[in-house]
This record gives sequence, structure tokens and C-alpha cells, in this order.
Amino acid sequence: MRKLLNKLFFIDLLKGMFITFTTIFKRPVTIRYPKQKRELEEGFRGRHAFVRNPETGKENCVACTKCAQVCPSQCIYIDYSINDDTSSRVLIKYEIDALRCIYCGYCEEVCPVNAIVLTEFYEYASYDRKSSYFNKETLLKNWDEFINQYKGEDYLNKFWYLPGINRERLPASKREPNAVPIIKKMENKEGWL
Amino acid sequence: MGQLEIEKLDETTFVLQMGPHHPATHGVLKLVCEFEGERVVKITPEVGFLHRGIEKLAENKTYPAVMTLTDRLDYISSMTNNIGFCLAVERLMGIEPPLRAKFIRTIVAELTRLSSHLLWLATHALDIGAMTMFLYCFREREQILQFFEKICGARLTVSYPRIGGVRVDIKEEVLEEIYRFMELMLKRVDEYETILTENRIWIARTRNVGVVTAEEAVSMGLTGPALRASGVYYDIRKAAPYDAYPYVEFEVPLGEKGDTYDRYLCRVREMRQSAFIIRQCIEKMPQGEILSSHAPDIDMAFQGKRKIQPADSLWGGFIKFTTEKEEIMPKSEVYSAIEAPKGELGFYIISDGSGRPYRMRVRAPSFIHISAIPKLCEGHLLADVIAIIGTLDIVMGEADR
Repeated sequence: MRKLLNKLFFIDLLKGMFITFTTIFKRPVTIRYPKQKRELEEGFRGRHAFVRNPETGKENCVACTKCAQVCPSQCIYIDYSINDDTSSRVLIKYEIDALRCIYCGYCEEVCPVNAIVLTEFYEYASYDRKSSYFNKETLLKNWDEFINQYKGEDYLNKFWYLPGINRERLPASKREPNAVPIIKKMENKEGWL
Repeated sequence: MGQLEIEKLDETTFVLQMGPHHPATHGVLKLVCEFEGERVVKITPEVGFLHRGIEKLAENKTYPAVMTLTDRLDYISSMTNNIGFCLAVERLMGIEPPLRAKFIRTIVAELTRLSSHLLWLATHALDIGAMTMFLYCFREREQILQFFEKICGARLTVSYPRIGGVRVDIKEEVLEEIYRFMELMLKRVDEYETILTENRIWIARTRNVGVVTAEEAVSMGLTGPALRASGVYYDIRKAAPYDAYPYVEFEVPLGEKGDTYDRYLCRVREMRQSAFIIRQCIEKMPQGEILSSHAPDIDMAFQGKRKIQPADSLWGGFIKFTTEKEEIMPKSEVYSAIEAPKGELGFYIISDGSGRPYRMRVRAPSFIHISAIPKLCEGHLLADVIAIIGTLDIVMGEADR
């Protein structure tokens, strides 16, 4: 009898319709993207950047080429020369093909001096391929662009520090959380660019 | 004359080429369907439009780098692919992740199962005609993807687990958030069920469509919810427990008839069980390390160094290089399978001692499920073919590899 009544009065359909109806009184879950933007989570793997050292105004990279070795898509190209006086490596060329990159974050995880980072910046689509092919200067520019919109005292990427991992596995410079102090508008200071 | 032509029409079959660019085939699957009237006589699936050679690529990359390739197999449940590969390599090396890493892996694997099933329900219902379900399911899936972003910084191609553990720890706040979301999720699953389970249109479209008996399902090699809907109790989480599944209690939902409706019920119940598993894991979450001390570094070498032996004479120096290489991985082979959202996902790895797999074979559930389409569609209408493709939950990235 009940089944018949259910069928006659479309109870099964009306139940579903009721749920749909109640959503009229709920707030929309969507956002209007170009006007409204969702805040990204900490440690989002976005556009690449070189950390600008606040003391020297240059990049930290020591040309160990570990990032190029570990990169699964082989999109990092490095060239270096050796300074005869100090017998240290000098970075000549550092290029990242962002169109090849798969954003796995292995490069920032393996970097012993926390030089490279995948910043929380994602709006860099372009109409030409050249602007997604970063070299040393554009990577530093990316950092300035990111850090000027960053809200916070200092910046520490999750994949530099790797919370939870046994500290002794990591190289000595990565064992402590070495956050980068932020000085805004770096590019305006003289002699740095 | 006219009558003759009509008689001829009865004998001939009508061939329809469905796909590869058809929204209902869930990717680039092509089906060559033969019809008699509107009844299916024969269906020939054609695959390979999304072939990227992942198995071959894996032979030229180190083990940690191969893990990023597995993201792209089944791109809507990349976390379970990563876990499956990492488990296979761990079994090859004979190491075991710490307990906290196991629990974290179980949580993210079940979150992936939820998001995969949500996407399946959304697209399956959309194919059949229930547009509202699509919007509701994507609302919850967005939440789960945000959790992934909080955990590892990426939404789809996560690369979160690591051989011997996981990459970064989960914060306690995020765990609490996930716990609260699971309660909401259970309510949402109830909502989906009120919309669909008793709906007469849904029942008419799914009952007795694509029936597989238990024997047929086993002989065709179906796994996962497609097999369990036929009433076969086979779940790798129970049969060969990995990660933290031995520590949690959960049920394996079974179907009776093995039709599309049963597969739907099975998956919806599985979503509830996933929520229960995640809640148990968060309650029991131990403290400690997240990476095993024997785990290899991600900057693993391609090849081992040549072995050094003391020389026989002093003419060539004190040491002698041999042609033998040091072993980075033990020389052996391993097959390990996990319960991915789609079914049994297996990795068969042969190691020759170097840092690269000599051969990696992926046993992808989607590929085997595609081979079951002709059998399932026999004698059904064209509209049911869409329902059957949807119910098997096929992802072409995994089938073509």
C-alpha cells in the first residue's frame, strides 16, 4: 500500500527535488575567478624562482647541478666555470624550461643551499613560449614579483625544511629551518640589478 | 521491389563508430559498435589514443623519478598510483615505512578513493541524465583537492609519497579539518542516496543493465567494485593488507546481481567505509618519523660505481677496477598490487641492480575493464552502452599508459 502511494505521489522524486530546492537558501560555493581569488595554501608548487639573498642581492646557487640530475623531466640546464683563485664554481647559465616542468618539487627538495623554490604564484600563462623559458635574471625577477605580494615576516618553503623527516638525513645547511627574511621592493635598491 | 529492400535491411547491421572524441566515453576510447535495429550485436573497443609509453620511459629514469610518472597513469587518483609504486619498490628493497607514514598513506589513499568515486558518480549520473549530481559531487571533490593542496602543495599530480615513507608531515590542524569534513561527507553521501537510490528513473536506467555473474566477472579479470558488485568477496585491503589497513576496521560492501545498479550501490557504500577508515586513522594516528632510515635519497644514482679490488701487482697502482657494478637495488623482481579506486593496480618491477628499473609493467584495472565492455553490452540498447561505460569507471590515461 505504502509503495503504491509512494509511486502515485512521486515521493521518491520529490525527496530528491527537496534537496535541490534547499540549495536556494545556501551560499554559493563557487567564486568569480578573475575578480575573486582563492588564497593558496602554504607550500603550493607554482612558478619557479631563485631566492635573492638579502645580503648580497644575488642568487644563492652554488652550481652543484643536483637539481638538474634529479629532475624527472630534465628541464634544468646548468653551465658553470671554475674560479681559479678560490677553486669554487661560478654559475654561468641556469635555465628552466617551465613548459617541460612537471612541478614535482624534487629540485627544491634536493637543493643543499635552498636556492631554488617553486613559489605560490600561478598566474603566468602567456601567448608565447619564450616567456615561460626562465634564465637566471628572470628567475630572480620572479622572486621579487612573488615576494612583493607575499604577506608575512619571513618565507620558509615546506620542501626546503621537510618537516617530520629525520634531520640527520639532510645536508647540514637544511637541518635547521632557515627562513629567508623578507625585504620588500628589493629591485628598487641601487646596485642590485 | 520495396519489400526486397526491407528484407535486406533486416539482414545487414548498422555500424556506428563511437569516439574517440565523444564526451561519454570518458577520454579517448573508441568503440566500433554494430547494431541490429537499436540492439547491440557486437562491440569492438579500440584503445591506444593516449599512449605515452610510460612503461618504456620508466626504464630510463631512477626509481624516485619514475614515481612522478605514475601520477599520470590514473590522473584522477594519483595518490594511490604513487603509493602502489612506492610499495612495490619497498618490497623490492625489503624496507618498511614507519608507522606514522603508513597511517598518513592510508588517509591520503582513502581521500583519493573518495575523490575518484565522487568523480565517477558525477560523470556516470551526468551520462544517464542527472545533471544535479554532477554539481554536488564536484562541490565535495573540490574540498578534497584542497586538502591535497594543504598536504603536499599540488592538487592533481601530487607526488606525495616517497620510497620508504612520505615526503612531508601533515599538520595537526589539517588532520582536524579532514576529520570534520568526514562527518560532513557522510551527510553528503546520504544526500546523494536520497537523490538517486530510490529514484525511479535511475532504477529504470540501471537495473538489469550490464549484468555480470560471479563466474564471468572472475574469468574476465574484473577487480574492485565491479567484481564485488557480483558478490565476490575480494578486496586486497583485506586479502593482503598493506599500509595501515590491518589496524583499522571496515566492511567490504558486496552486491548481489552484478548489474549497474549494484555497482552504484557498492561504490556509494565504499565511500562511507572510506570516511570511516579516515576517521579511525586520524584517531589512532601515532607520532614519530615519516621516513624510514633505510629509504633511498631522491638523488639516487643511475648506476652503481665499479667495484674496487686490491691489485695483484703494484704495477698498475694498488687497486684494480673490475667490470662489476655495485648494486644500488637488490637484483630481483617483484609484483605488488594495491586496491586502487578502480580495482587491482599492480606494479611488476624487474631490477638489474642499477638505479633504474630494468622493466616496469603496470597492471591497470581500466585496461582489463575495457575488455569486458563487449560482453557486458551484448543485447543492450545504444543508450545502455553509455551507462555501461560509465559504470566500469574507465580512465584512459591508465588503460593506454
